Amino acid sequence: MSFLQSLEDSAFGVWVSTSLVGYPLMITLHAIGMAVMVGLSVALDLRLLGWFAGIPYTAINRFLSIAWIGFTINLLSGTALFCMQATMYVQDGTFLLKMLFVLLGAVTAAFLQVALNRNSGSWGTAAPAGIRLLAVLSIVFWTAGMVTGRLIAYLV
Amino acid sequence: MDSVYDWMVQTPINELVMGYPWTWPALETFHFLGLCLLIGSVLIMDLRLIGFQSTIPLRAVHALMPVAIVGFAVNLITGLGFLFGDPHLYVINYAFWVKMGLVFLAGINFLFFYFKVEPRLEALGPHEATPAIAKTVGALSLVFWFGVLAYGRLLPYLGTGGG
Repeated sequence: MSFLQSLEDSAFGVWVSTSLVGYPLMITLHAIGMAVMVGLSVALDLRLLGWFAGIPYTAINRFLSIAWIGFTINLLSGTALFCMQATMYVQDGTFLLKMLFVLLGAVTAAFLQVALNRNSGSWGTAAPAGIRLLAVLSIVFWTAGMVTGRLIAYLV
Repeated sequence: MDSVYDWMVQTPINELVMGYPWTWPALETFHFLGLCLLIGSVLIMDLRLIGFQSTIPLRAVHALMPVAIVGFAVNLITGLGFLFGDPHLYVINYAFWVKMGLVFLAGINFLFFYFKVEPRLEALGPHEATPAIAKTVGALSLVFWFGVLAYGRLLPYLGTGGG
């Protein structure tokens, strides 16, 4: 616990929690990164399920690379928000559940991107059944991550 | 305008939003889901308009439009829920009016694209470079929608109140 406490007490942790701009800036960056990562991921998932069939798999894969920029913004802004109340977050079941869903969403997105790079040349209008299942799971993970993330503010 | 706000708080919508502890958090959650659908599809359509990923046929990105419209509809409905729930909280906050102004500009920009720009694009080949007007409309759309997102999230910290 002392490491978590030292995060909260660090100059950075104090800046995020007490300055006029720290928390609003980080929470806004977190919403922007989420919109980019989740929005593009879900669009990609829908494409894999056979929607917007005119969009080539290779092109949508490039958009997933942009999605990772959103993910990076949220990794950084999320770390900043975590530093603010580290000792509270690690004991918050809703937060831990959110982290699990985000991890599952990110791993699924990474796997889908690798599969797209390697195999999408041979896919038809919709991707193979296994990939379609992962696309559905990706939508479930991101939605669950967002719902639990939003509810942290209400269930603490 | 005060009479409008007073009317809002007497509607059944107000009762639904404020009368149960779970309504507001549920509306917030759907507002976030809607914004992801809107921003994700707008990002792909606008970046293609600007010239990113010209391997995508121009007509193909048009297929994303329903996703953007569904996202916007979800946020219009949930947003009206917040407004009817606590109108006085929002209308005194300048950030709320900036956000609404940006939504209005994004809407005008979309109508201009839909009626004036897109018909011209139909004459282009699927991978041909888009004209400057299409690039401008695409860039403005991104500026307006990300502005809406930023001002929406900053609402509780600028001026007073909001959620």
